[in-house]
Amino acid sequence: MRRLRQGAPWLLVALAAAAAGAARADGDSARGEQRFADCVACHSTERDVNGVGPSLYGVLERKAGELTDFRYSPALRRSGITWTAQALDTFIADPQKMVPANRMPYGGMPDAGDRADLIAYLQKAAK
Amino acid sequence: MATKLKEVDAVIVGLGWTGGILAKELAAAGLKVVALERGAMRSTDKDFALPNVRDELRYVVRHELMQNTARDTLTVRNNPSQEALPMRRLGSFLPGEVVGGSAVHWSGHTWRWTDMEFNVRSLYEERYGKNFIPADMTIRDWGITYAELEPYYDRFEYTAAISGKAGNIQGQIQPGGNPFEAPRARDYPLPPLTPILAAEMFTEAAKNNGYHPFPRPSANASRAYTNPDGAKFGACVYCGYCQRFGCEANAKGSPHIAVIPIAMRNPNFELRTHSWVTKVLKDSDGKRVTGVTYTNVLNGEEFEQPAGMVLLCAYAINNVHLMLLSGIGQPYDPVAQTGVIGKNYCYQTGSGATLFFEGRHFNPFMNAGGSNATIDDFNINWDFDRGPHGFVGGYNMSGGFNTVLPIGYRPVPRGTPQWGKEWKAATAKWYQTAMNIGASGSVMANRYNYYDLDPTYRNAFGQPLMRMTFDYKENEHKLGRHAAQQINAIAKSMNPTRLNEATARTDPWTVVPYQSTHNTGGTIMGTNPRDSAVNKYLQSWDCHNLFLIGANVFVHNASYNPTGPVGALAYWTADAIKNRYVKNPAPLVPA
Repeated sequence: MRRLRQGAPWLLVALAAAAAGAARADGDSARGEQRFADCVACHSTERDVNGVGPSLYGVLERKAGELTDFRYSPALRRSGITWTAQALDTFIADPQKMVPANRMPYGGMPDAGDRADLIAYLQKAAK
Repeated sequence: MATKLKEVDAVIVGLGWTGGILAKELAAAGLKVVALERGAMRSTDKDFALPNVRDELRYVVRHELMQNTARDTLTVRNNPSQEALPMRRLGSFLPGEVVGGSAVHWSGHTWRWTDMEFNVRSLYEERYGKNFIPADMTIRDWGITYAELEPYYDRFEYTAAISGKAGNIQGQIQPGGNPFEAPRARDYPLPPLTPILAAEMFTEAAKNNGYHPFPRPSANASRAYTNPDGAKFGACVYCGYCQRFGCEANAKGSPHIAVIPIAMRNPNFELRTHSWVTKVLKDSDGKRVTGVTYTNVLNGEEFEQPAGMVLLCAYAINNVHLMLLSGIGQPYDPVAQTGVIGKNYCYQTGSGATLFFEGRHFNPFMNAGGSNATIDDFNINWDFDRGPHGFVGGYNMSGGFNTVLPIGYRPVPRGTPQWGKEWKAATAKWYQTAMNIGASGSVMANRYNYYDLDPTYRNAFGQPLMRMTFDYKENEHKLGRHAAQQINAIAKSMNPTRLNEATARTDPWTVVPYQSTHNTGGTIMGTNPRDSAVNKYLQSWDCHNLFLIGANVFVHNASYNPTGPVGALAYWTADAIKNRYVKNPAPLVPA
């Protein structure tokens, strides 16, 4: 279930977080599992299971383009990104904005709370 | 000499939507099932991932996912007085030839055909009298009802991740949906796709003209979706590479991500790719089939696969071809009007206009397979009086885009030179400003539109090619003229800067350019063996352990795309086999 996110206090927090470019740390991994539905047609959290996208096992703190058995886009390989929670948050929000010409066919997850939940899930499920 | 293999319960010829559905259902019911597919295995991660899939040369020009005409093709002609010639290059229609079949490269348009099709002759005779239907128009009622198929339509829509807006839920008309559709038990599994500008403009214009626009239902998942079997779909990214391509985002409802992987996980099921079935084998008494012969196209090795049941699930044309090659049922003769195999071949007709709006930016590189708005006011709307126009059938009209490719799509106003500096200037000027309004029209069966075996030309296996005899008749010309007129009226009401007006297709049909991969009929369904090849459960009247599943059983062709009823009939037949036939292997309908 989605929690209600209404009212000014939440909005201010979200705007402040966006302005500072900081990922929210209050994600709920159970809700994040629901958000992972956006990813699951291409990504697995199991080790060595690549689909259309690479396995997300151990993705946090991994370097972008690091798996040897997945063919990444040149853009992602050259990006120099380390997938911190912060970097993932920025990437998932608008993948083409952060890494132009990457090949992930995904339009982005605009809601900061949804992303926090998803990242909390990845922290739990993919390690 | 063919190597004889161990007998299985069922052999499936062709693994697309119908083969995939039957494979999954019958393997789950405990039957040992083998599927023989001519083409190769294809998967999203290995074959359709970015950037390689976005290759117009490979998929549009060289037809990588489609039937190889160097190995097998058809001969075509417009009427029986002509000599048919082989179609050496695909054009007008594009049968698929991979695991997943044509449903890998389809756009995903999924409709529910209604009793307006299934009762076509009764309805028109009742309203307009017996003389309204021309003597050579061999349409008749199908012997099946919408009510029987409704749960199976539902099942297919939820399996294939259809995005759409219901127009009629249990008799309640739903705002924004198609008010003419037959009642459905529940809404589509997914909401409609985000409309593109062209669809929005068409919607407004259609409303202003008093029509009833709605978003076209299609197997392009509008958001991430898990179907009832657990197959996972991503959300459509509107990449614009839908028709003729595999989906890079796992967002298109295709059997290679829906039903086939589920069958593959079942130990009762085995898939053999590159396996070309050459013949269905009959028992000595001719009442049953005993299996099939096939050739491994990689090495030429021949096999016999004995089976308790044979299910022909190949492309519609190829199902009929196999029946003729195997000598099952009596071939149709248009002069004597005897026989049924090859009878009632139908196609589709259409018309289209291109509208140019200076200053508008349609971003034609962004769309989904189902990115358009449609009206059915001239299709399944029985209040639309065909009497004054003198035609049977109808057409759906839509505005929007589907796979207008960056290289191939060059809209320019009529009168522009076809090459050179002026053409270049025009293509740059008008590319962003153009949108389309098109109509897809039904084709009614005709005595002289049919299939048989070609007397001259043979395929790579030494077998006679299929011969297609087809042309549009006066009924289709009338329908086309009406469609062009209505398209132009709506187009003009939108005040475009320039308009390439729609015209009716009245020239003889040819194999170029691409028109529609909706070839139907040839082994039609019906209520008795005198005028049909299969009963309502798609079971052969001649051999009760032979089932023919696909658009080859359609008695005529509607304006709608065929995949909705094709998928529904596959589930319907699967249930008939599982629940009735395996318990009592006999004709499911007395002849």
